[in-house]
Amino acid sequence: MIILENITKTYSTRRGSVHALDGISLRIEKGDFVVIRGPSGSGKTTLLMIIAGMLRPTRGRAVVGQSDLYELGLKGRAQFRAGNIGFIFQMFHLVPYLNITENIALAGPAAGKKPDKTRLAALLNDFGLAERAFHKPSQLSAGEKQRTAIARALHNQPKIILADEPTGNLDPENAHSVLAHLRDFHHQGGTVIVVTHGSEADRYANRIINMNNGRVENLG
Amino acid sequence: MNTFSLILKEIGFRKLNFILGLLAVTTAVVLLVAFDTTGRAYRRETRRIMRNMGQNLRIIPRQTSMDKFWSAGFSEHTMPEQYVHRFASLRGYSYTHLTATLQKSVSWRDKTVILTGILPEVLPADKRHQKPMTFFVEPGTVYLGSEVAGMFNIKAGDMIDLFGKMFKVIKCLSPSGSSDDIRIYGDLHDIQNILNLKGRINEIKALECLCLIEDKNDPRSMLEIAQQQLAEILPEGKVLLLKGIAEIRQKQRAAMEGYLAFVMPMIIIVCGAWIAVLAHNNVNQRRSEIGIMRSLGYGSGRIALLILGKAVLTGLLGAAAGFFIGTAVALDIGPEIFKVTAKAIKFEYSLLPVMLIAAPVFAAVAGFIPAMIAVAQDPASTLKEE
Repeated sequence: MIILENITKTYSTRRGSVHALDGISLRIEKGDFVVIRGPSGSGKTTLLMIIAGMLRPTRGRAVVGQSDLYELGLKGRAQFRAGNIGFIFQMFHLVPYLNITENIALAGPAAGKKPDKTRLAALLNDFGLAERAFHKPSQLSAGEKQRTAIARALHNQPKIILADEPTGNLDPENAHSVLAHLRDFHHQGGTVIVVTHGSEADRYANRIINMNNGRVENLG
Repeated sequence: MNTFSLILKEIGFRKLNFILGLLAVTTAVVLLVAFDTTGRAYRRETRRIMRNMGQNLRIIPRQTSMDKFWSAGFSEHTMPEQYVHRFASLRGYSYTHLTATLQKSVSWRDKTVILTGILPEVLPADKRHQKPMTFFVEPGTVYLGSEVAGMFNIKAGDMIDLFGKMFKVIKCLSPSGSSDDIRIYGDLHDIQNILNLKGRINEIKALECLCLIEDKNDPRSMLEIAQQQLAEILPEGKVLLLKGIAEIRQKQRAAMEGYLAFVMPMIIIVCGAWIAVLAHNNVNQRRSEIGIMRSLGYGSGRIALLILGKAVLTGLLGAAAGFFIGTAVALDIGPEIFKVTAKAIKFEYSLLPVMLIAAPVFAAVAGFIPAMIAVAQDPASTLKEE
């Protein structure tokens, strides 16, 4: 379960304060597939980063499972992420000098896991990447890169997947493939939170939340 | 994948950044090693030149007749040997080399020779490690000037009879073009025994001797001060100060030290800044990678280790390459500059471990701020970037 209480995030700029999030309170149940929708600048990515324990809110409280995230230190939050959260980004963020297998395995050491060849082989097969196992990211298509990113997110068997515009750089066919993989994770009991400004993920979600100007307009 | 493998893979991917960083460290080490190696040659050469020029402070027996002293090169009178130890323990004087001699013209095998007894050099407490400037003659042995050896066809290893006592000839010196060629050098106490002058010397010599004047406004010259001070503790002594040599030496040393004091920090600052800029560029190039590692749960320590580990590896390789290149440069250029001691310019292996420790530390220090920037980087803002 994810509980956000009165989350506010304010950035100080030369032109004054910018309120990215303005008093958001939200509760997401374990096993939900939630789509957070909103235009660019609505604060949805900021919200995702706060749920991941990567961005301290100016005010408010974020509780994920039993952990009050911002009561934990930096190291504690890093350990929490490694053990509980998988991240997927629009820009894939693969490490350019590692091959596909190494990129997927990169998640392991953070969670204190030793290399598991069986697990890696299974992920490569599940995501249709077996033939690309030793290719570098620059040699892959956008769809293959995003599938690699999902495989990396799933490597540590997280409880929650956070996806930031995961289909933003993909054609409809690859977008469907990526969302289908997220649905499979959801069906296995995982919690999925997708932030997007499009509507392609709507049909996979059991809950849709709309955001605008740093506020939740509709709790879904 | 361990940190070292990640560092190696990143180096393989961003070769230019690594090569430029390596070049910075190598350049710094090359310059430091070349300067140090040739600097040692410079110091050896200076020592040798100074030895040829003589000592800058001489203490001779008070009753010495100066016309005879300058014509003979030594005093016909003597003073107590313990004066050298009294002088050494005197506060307010600094020197680098101090020795005492007993010299006397004698007839040996119908030829005139100068018997010269040498006391092993008395070094200041803070300079015990330094190499003596004058040679040390073991008791029971002698060194012969070239004329003496030549006249009697004596070779190193021969035994000679010196006024009823047998001595082994250790070395026959090469011609010096001075009265040194007719000298027989021996241990001070052996020569004292031969001349029946036990416990006596006729000269104390000091190099780089400076009188530390407490009152800067004291109108007296260094010679006057030394004469007055030494008169109290060395009543049988007379002080001669070769002012020109002392001043030239001091100026020469100050000029060289001033030059090195400017050049060395400049090398370190320029190369350090070069490495820091490269490390900073590297961190900027790796923003996405660092961000994703943070999102995966990698801690600050591991991220810093990736940046600093690369810097340390660069430092290690640069130190090894720089040491050999720097030494090769010194061996190539040094003999052209220091012709007298050209053969003494050699591999200074003691510099290798120093560089292997200093260069990685130096590279890590230069890469520290970029590493901290990487650690402090907000992964949220990086990962949001399109």
